[in-house]
Amino acid sequence: MICQLCQTFIKQTPSLLQTFGMIRWQPNKLCQACQSEFVSISCACSGCGRQQNNESLCFDCQRWEKQGKILLQHTSLYQYNDAMRDFMQRYKFNGDYSLRQIFNHELIQYVNNMAIDLVVVIPISEYTMMTRGFNQTVGLFEGVTLSDLLKVKAKNKSHQSQFNRKGRMMRTQPFTVSKSLPLHNKRVLLVDDVYTTGNTLYHAADLLYDLGAKNVKSLSLAR
Amino acid sequence: MEEYYGRQLVQPKIKNVPAYVSVAATFNNHICQRCGQTDIEKLPNYHFYCRACLALGRVSSRDVLLSLPEPNLFDGHDILSWSGKLTAKQQEVSNELIATLKEKNEHLVWAVTGAGKTEMLFPVIHKALTQRYRVGIVSPRVDVIIELAPRLQAAFSKTDMVVLHGEQTQDYRYTPLVLATTHQMLRFKSAFDLLIVDEVDSFPYAGDKMLSYAVQQAKKATGTLIFLTATPTKQLQKRVRRGSLKTSYLPLRYHQHLLPVIKTTLVGNWRRKIPKQLVKQLTHFQRTEQRFLIFVPKVADLKKVYDQINKHVPHLKGDYVHAADSRRQEKVQAMRDYQLQYLVTTTILERGVTFPGIDVLILGADDTTFSENALVQIAGRVGRKNDRPTGLVRAYVQHISLNVVAAQRQIKQMNHRGKKLGGRK
Repeated sequence: MICQLCQTFIKQTPSLLQTFGMIRWQPNKLCQACQSEFVSISCACSGCGRQQNNESLCFDCQRWEKQGKILLQHTSLYQYNDAMRDFMQRYKFNGDYSLRQIFNHELIQYVNNMAIDLVVVIPISEYTMMTRGFNQTVGLFEGVTLSDLLKVKAKNKSHQSQFNRKGRMMRTQPFTVSKSLPLHNKRVLLVDDVYTTGNTLYHAADLLYDLGAKNVKSLSLAR
Repeated sequence: MEEYYGRQLVQPKIKNVPAYVSVAATFNNHICQRCGQTDIEKLPNYHFYCRACLALGRVSSRDVLLSLPEPNLFDGHDILSWSGKLTAKQQEVSNELIATLKEKNEHLVWAVTGAGKTEMLFPVIHKALTQRYRVGIVSPRVDVIIELAPRLQAAFSKTDMVVLHGEQTQDYRYTPLVLATTHQMLRFKSAFDLLIVDEVDSFPYAGDKMLSYAVQQAKKATGTLIFLTATPTKQLQKRVRRGSLKTSYLPLRYHQHLLPVIKTTLVGNWRRKIPKQLVKQLTHFQRTEQRFLIFVPKVADLKKVYDQINKHVPHLKGDYVHAADSRRQEKVQAMRDYQLQYLVTTTILERGVTFPGIDVLILGADDTTFSENALVQIAGRVGRKNDRPTGLVRAYVQHISLNVVAAQRQIKQMNHRGKKLGGRK
């Protein structure tokens, strides 16, 4: 195997049972050095999944609560550090779609262990689809049955990554519902690639609650 | 409009295309039309992209390639502001290159390390520029390009020049003279009338089909291609023997002295304990204040060897440098400015760099990372200046490997031919 990020050779051999297919063999996608650059989130805010020392609500989540939102109880797998920024740069903006495999297995496992009825993916605009060629979140969660319940309103073209916090918070509802699906008493999971301010996810959650969802949680790769 | 001349740029299909450029499909039979490779990776909805040339921006089936023919809109007023003089032998090679420029052919300059390859190029570049040709000088190594840039700018001070590589900050401009890494050639199409590839045998160009494709399509169909190297690869040597590649051979350095031969010293396991022969040599260097380079096989060895030297021979001022070092340019520059007495390094400094009057030690020369050509190049770092035309090249080995012997033989052969031309010790 070759490390998907730094192209160095990784020596790994399947065990006897793996060779004969008794245990599924999942070779590592990354070398030790690259793997250690990504830091997983150990103890986090119970509202947004931010890495911190205790599980109490962080300042941002208290602000969301004051605005009358029901908290998303967001979970992220990894911290958004330099390595993750670099990964996102290569995966999303350079468009190396094959890098989706790196965290795919982990994300699928996480989703399968959750008590939910429906997984809804954050959509990308038509224009981004034509230039980038893929929805980054769909790529990351490939293998999970995703619902494309939401779509981006036609006039929304801008990438969120080019705005600062203030710019993002100013944004009005960017999504609409593409098909009417009864969500009564359904537990919905929203998935995205990166959680930054939470603005995008809360806008999406608003729509889902309007459709009658029982509760909405969210999951992302990085926070 | 100017920025499209001779270029090949990628753009998504849905963006507006200027009316004057020609548009081509990105893939033909699943072959990437930019890099000529078939390293295809899937995208959703039956689309796909090329992984081989991904580093220069993605080419996908949702994109188109834009290009515009090179019109050679230059004034041709070039002044060669270089005042040096070529030796008789260098002049001969230089004349052969000018002849090739007329024939529009391929040409290999096989000249030993420190033969003055760059200077020999000046007349032919000058000739090309005055004929309103567009000239490209490329190399697989960024270091070579960075070192070459000021020298060329000084020699052609009246001509506009642009330097292109991965870490550059300068924007692309339309200029008659382009200095770039070989990867950048993927962004050009039929642009150059004269294209010079320096250090053709070095990584990553040697054995990379994509890069040789890039170079071939960056020059015009009627263009001239000149390869420069001290140690041609087996493939190039084969073409020379077959006679399908015109060759100029220069086995003698510009100062007429022979190449220093690699001396070997047998040592024990140097990774475990620093050899006493090396300590002795280093104390000698310390006494004489001789500057030197130490080559080691692996990046992991750098720090260990550096620490050992500091422990056994204190008061020597040096540093260690490797490819991924963020302060790489800084350290190399410090060595050039006489602020350091030595550098511990891997093969990244094997070619394209000149530190006047240094000696070279190779620790673990029997390691497989040191190929025959790498060793010859490393030995070629020594004695490059007129005021100190010889020097010491010592290889510390646990056992004498085939590569070391082959490198010694190659240098001896060069010296044998050099002697016939009047080379002296």
